[in-house]
Amino acid sequence: MSERYTIDELMVTTLAREFTNDTRAFNGAVSFVPVCAYLLARRTHAPDLVWAASSIAIDADPKSIPESTLSDGLWDGASMLANSAYDFWAYAQNRRYNTFAFRGAQMDACGNVNNTVIGPYESPKVRLPGGGGMADLSCMIPLIYLWSTTHDPRTFVERLDFRSGIGWGDGGDHRERLGLPGGPQLCVTNLCVFEFHPDTKRMQIRSLHPGVTAEQVIESTGFALPASDGDVPVTGEPTDEELRILREEVDPTGARLREFR
Amino acid sequence: MDSKLRSLEEAAETVADGSTIAIGGLSMNAAPMAFVRALARRKVKDLTLVAIVHGMPIEWLVAAGCVRTVVSGLVSLEGFGLAPRFRAAVQAGQVEIEEYSEHTLICRLQAAAYRIPYMPTKAGLGTDMLALHPDTTREQHDALSGEPYVACTPLPVDVAIVHAEAADTRGNVRVDPKLVWMDSELVKAAARTIVTVERIVPEASFRAEPHRTTYPRFTVDTVVEAPWGAYPTSCFPRYGYDGDFFREYVAAHTDPAAAQAFWDDRIAGPETHAAFLDANGGPRTLLSIARRTT
Repeated sequence: MSERYTIDELMVTTLAREFTNDTRAFNGAVSFVPVCAYLLARRTHAPDLVWAASSIAIDADPKSIPESTLSDGLWDGASMLANSAYDFWAYAQNRRYNTFAFRGAQMDACGNVNNTVIGPYESPKVRLPGGGGMADLSCMIPLIYLWSTTHDPRTFVERLDFRSGIGWGDGGDHRERLGLPGGPQLCVTNLCVFEFHPDTKRMQIRSLHPGVTAEQVIESTGFALPASDGDVPVTGEPTDEELRILREEVDPTGARLREFR
Repeated sequence: MDSKLRSLEEAAETVADGSTIAIGGLSMNAAPMAFVRALARRKVKDLTLVAIVHGMPIEWLVAAGCVRTVVSGLVSLEGFGLAPRFRAAVQAGQVEIEEYSEHTLICRLQAAAYRIPYMPTKAGLGTDMLALHPDTTREQHDALSGEPYVACTPLPVDVAIVHAEAADTRGNVRVDPKLVWMDSELVKAAARTIVTVERIVPEASFRAEPHRTTYPRFTVDTVVEAPWGAYPTSCFPRYGYDGDFFREYVAAHTDPAAAQAFWDDRIAGPETHAAFLDANGGPRTLLSIARRTT
């Protein structure tokens, strides 16, 4: 990797480039990477992107990002504080909001996520924080983006200990059969970008981050990845302008680094 | 005209052992912490604690041994870390966690509020959440279209406790500037509601601006004046959360003796709400978290 930027910056810019003027997003707890990405996208190529800070503060423009992405410290500059019980859940269910990013302690090949327990639910080895709104919003929102700052076989597993949020479910047309819209678009990790096979809906490598090999990704992934045919693309590096905006305007205090400990 | 105004201690006395209570606010925001502290000091037992997304109030009530079951979607201290007391208690089998997704929990509260058999939602389909409690979140199919949905049955709540900006002694309550979290659903679902407020105002204040009233007096049973009553969580737009408190709380829990000292000195020990604020830095702390409201 280049000395010009760090992995958090590469992940944020990679995610930001996926968002457009049609992106209408919000965020939940501990979501520093996507929050940075929404703010960066809005400042670079998607000025009309909608982002509701903490799912409450529409068009917020915070001067910095606090320790909690679910707190009023993120709301400065908002044009509206939406009500959670009525505004937010209505806009989520009628798809006025169309974009949701989530992650968890475990993720499987179809992009399903566990943030509930490691081990059996009744007698957990590790009690995790819980799924929060994951099970809800993963069913309601069509454009789902996943991220992980810990690409290793403990995180990317063949079988989840618990499915807190649905990605492509059991794969294939499972979401469609449940009457759920869209599904996961991609997963940005600290090693690569995964996309989903159009039919099986299992993860496959879309691009490798600079300096990372396919072997490294295969070794770091607990489920089988399809053999790639030919050269795998390299993830596009951040531009100097993207780095400047991220460092100086979006997240000057480096709140995103809380996800990289 | 009977006044509904009570002290924190008097209000806490009305919560019986074994009750199901619901705590307002969300995560770092607007939790009725002064009341939670009074409950913890009273050592009420066997509570079922409904907290849609929360951290610190669950920590305190678990630490005080008040809780049998936590009903929640997410328990953490967010960017500050995991909720140490909660996690240890669940892993040791001392406290039960009944996890629901956020929206199915809200739907259960709404079903209780509207006195209907269930509230339908698409939330949770295809996840393991529904199988955790098949009696209360059931996957069903619409009779005409065949479309799958989740039926969320009523969740009856004995007491809702929420924090707000202002109330009069008759129980009219104003959330200022505007209610943003799920507190309204707790109040509607609950048999009884206790509201802690930053200040008591005359009834005339409500009559002068009725469009700003959030809860009418017949839905509120008890009012408690507790300035800075959400501390160390925030009360938008008056004050933010106290980051130092959260940081130091998490740091203290790397060592049992330090955790106990923190608990005694800064949470459970102080006799009054004012003494509690003083134990955490008093005016200096409060001025540092006060937000400028222009």
